[in-house]
Amino acid sequence: MKFYKDHYDVIVIGGALAGLSSALMLADKGLDVLVLERHNLPGGLATSFVRGGVEIEATLHEMMSIGNKGNRLKVGQFLDDMGVDVDWLEVPEAYHASIPDVEVTLHPGFERFSKEIDAVCPGTYDKVNRLMKLCLSVYNSVNELSIHPMSKVQMLLKHEAFVKTAGYSAKEVIDTFELPQKAIDLLSPYWIYVGGPLSTLPFTIWAFLMADYIGYGSKVPRKFSHELSLKMAEKAEAMGVQIEYRQHVDKILVKDGKAYGVRTRRGDEIYADYVICSAYPNKVYTSMIEPASEVPEKAFKVVNGRQLSLSAFTVFLLLDKEAKELGIKDYNVFRAKTMDTDKIFENYKGLGPYNYLTAICLNLANPGCTPEGTTILSITALPRVDAWKKVSGEDYDKVKHEVAKAMVEEMSEYYGVNLLDHALEVIIETPMTIAHYTSMWNGCIYGYLHDMKDHIVARLQTAEEEKIIDHLEFSGAHQISGNGMGPAVTNGRKAAKNVLDSIAKEKERA
Amino acid sequence: MKIKGFLKDVGGASRVTKARLAAFEAASSTPVRDDPINDVANEWHPGKIKAIVKDKRPASKTAMTIRFTRENGEKFPFFYAGQYLSLSLVVNGKTISRPYSISSAPFEARLDKDPFVEITVRRSKGDGFIADYIYEKLEKGTEVYINMGNGQFYYEPLRDARHVVALAGGVGITPFASMAKEIAHGTLDFDLTILYGSVSSDDIVLKDELEQIKSDKVHIVHVLSGDEPDWKGEKGFLSAELIKKYSADDTSYFICGPQAMYLFLRTELNKLDIPRRRIRFEVFGSAKDITKAEGYPVELKDKTFNLTVVRGIHEDVIPARADESLATALERAGIPIETACRSGECGVCRVKLLDGKVFVNPEGDGRRAADKDFNYFHSCSSYPLSDCKIKITII
Repeated sequence: MKFYKDHYDVIVIGGALAGLSSALMLADKGLDVLVLERHNLPGGLATSFVRGGVEIEATLHEMMSIGNKGNRLKVGQFLDDMGVDVDWLEVPEAYHASIPDVEVTLHPGFERFSKEIDAVCPGTYDKVNRLMKLCLSVYNSVNELSIHPMSKVQMLLKHEAFVKTAGYSAKEVIDTFELPQKAIDLLSPYWIYVGGPLSTLPFTIWAFLMADYIGYGSKVPRKFSHELSLKMAEKAEAMGVQIEYRQHVDKILVKDGKAYGVRTRRGDEIYADYVICSAYPNKVYTSMIEPASEVPEKAFKVVNGRQLSLSAFTVFLLLDKEAKELGIKDYNVFRAKTMDTDKIFENYKGLGPYNYLTAICLNLANPGCTPEGTTILSITALPRVDAWKKVSGEDYDKVKHEVAKAMVEEMSEYYGVNLLDHALEVIIETPMTIAHYTSMWNGCIYGYLHDMKDHIVARLQTAEEEKIIDHLEFSGAHQISGNGMGPAVTNGRKAAKNVLDSIAKEKERA
Repeated sequence: MKIKGFLKDVGGASRVTKARLAAFEAASSTPVRDDPINDVANEWHPGKIKAIVKDKRPASKTAMTIRFTRENGEKFPFFYAGQYLSLSLVVNGKTISRPYSISSAPFEARLDKDPFVEITVRRSKGDGFIADYIYEKLEKGTEVYINMGNGQFYYEPLRDARHVVALAGGVGITPFASMAKEIAHGTLDFDLTILYGSVSSDDIVLKDELEQIKSDKVHIVHVLSGDEPDWKGEKGFLSAELIKKYSADDTSYFICGPQAMYLFLRTELNKLDIPRRRIRFEVFGSAKDITKAEGYPVELKDKTFNLTVVRGIHEDVIPARADESLATALERAGIPIETACRSGECGVCRVKLLDGKVFVNPEGDGRRAADKDFNYFHSCSSYPLSDCKIKITII
């Protein structure tokens, strides 16, 4: 029985947002694409699950880079261009900061945001507003330069803020604004969406994050992130892409330094001109390239020279009352014992209790998302996997419950209600859960850590260094734009663009 | 604008670029393969594993316990007491899978010496040929495939009350047998009172085993509905009154048994004003007779349709009866389909309907909202109402 064609233009390993973005873009250019996804659903982490008859969002907190109809941002525009019509709902606020000595809810829009911080830290309005404008300037440059690269001199003339801040951490640039610590603390919570402490996080990344979220707000799909994933997959199939679920790719076939196909766990050998892979380079180079002798030493230096970023631990609570009856007022609460991001980052190396939690109540952006009289609350910490790596199969359940319990107790204290007294369902998602459903390397969802040694600007400048095997591209959180659902789309597009550029170049040569 | 000084500011990009290249240069060239996070994930959920029938023994006059081991005495995956396994058997050359609650305890799957898992199966009319096959043909040494650690029917300490009243009927005792043994072993901690309804004392499944594990924390109360003059224990059905008698102030109720019992208990539990979060039903199981389901177009029940099955670029056309699920039609035709809960809930058997019309069992439809919009169905609980075309996964 023959399930596959003799040959494809491109095989995409992984049908999550990055892989589907690659597939859409390539199919749009008329290429013959096969997507192989190990799970029986598209989306990877951009998915949902059903418990006790209730559908629950698995991971999405706030989708960035969407914008509104008629005024789309980068990712929203791409989806429109591809004809992927998602029913986006507005997230009503930026975040509620529950940090030492301060409780305040902040909203998107630079002016409103700056005013709200000024109300807590009088006299900071101008500075915060200026800082946000600087972020916007960097943001616009990043978006433009990712499409139109230019010379250094041109860049300095046209993108001064971007160039002049590129060499500094977020902390170094923020410090030049001489804001009181309390204002800095209120500006810091979103650090967790990129995962690096402000002292080592490139300002470029922080600026991008702040401009996008504070400037334009964020969205969630009405039917959970599965709506986004499924609509992308359906569109891709309508454009002729073949998507096969439950196909675990074990090997990428390489000859003379060039990828030419894959082998699945089922034993199918499938051939293509190009392979785009969502698995981490760490996994690809250590176990997926066949023959292994095709992997040069340099490949190991490139992966060993980078640091893995964060994983995730989430407790989902389906509660038996409406949000307002439980005193849950905000969509997104950042609950911090400290706003020193270095300390939080250090705390995340362990197994808890975690000192920085994010609680999301989806009902407040998507009122119909659970049955009447119920509420869904997810509480997340984003640990590094250091300590989790030492948890054995035997200890796993005990550790998972201890960590979860501490997180629920912390948020119960915040809301002033014992959440467990209302729990219809308690679901715990750990780094191992992530590994189970996605096989992501070490359960790490954030790719490589954004820091001053692995700076996005340097990633762009040195991308050639990472080209180890011809006709093999990577896409996923481990690529240039890093983690998050918005960047996943951008990473997928970049991989597709690399393939298209390579095809064009080889055509020219021939 | 100025951050620290013109030269330092404009040199930023080259500085970070050099730093990145230096980090690559300084890094080790030794491959690092360690991924203990995925290793633990695989220890819990390795997917399908091969198992061997070790022995079979009667669990009552009408039920049988089957013990499985693995090659070389390997341990089984971790699981929670109360979960089920999906058993795949090759019957007449066709692979068929069905869910069974695991009646042995999690610790027994992880014993250093001779680890095992057990299921307890009752032979009853209308269950199809699988129970017959297990009873008659499954012999010591038979190789089977199992996928275990499935389902949500287990004690969750962050959610459930310390005191649990289990309401069991027939072979529905199995998940509670697993829980009781794990509690007795000291590796699961809650108070369990099992109210176990049977028609006669002969029908009690796992009677002797349950007798042995009675303790401070595990109480077993047999309730007989048949007329048995010598019986000194509880009589009648699992009524609201009886349930109340064995309940503590804060009690979680776990229910597992035949479908008729579910319907009865829904009414009884309603009388007791129990908070919704304290009641947990095991999944309903596949419909015994879908043509009796609400909304089923009975005029079609005797029809057989053509089902076109797409796998990759390959297509087959097979017959599919209106009163049998798509998953069953595939199994009959010898086309492999992975299933787990067989109740419509878990979604393992998700397929895309490309053309045609199906009826979905309204009981336990666990589909995602977006899946419904795009014609995805769970094949174990979807029944053809016309010629259909579906896309399934390649196995």
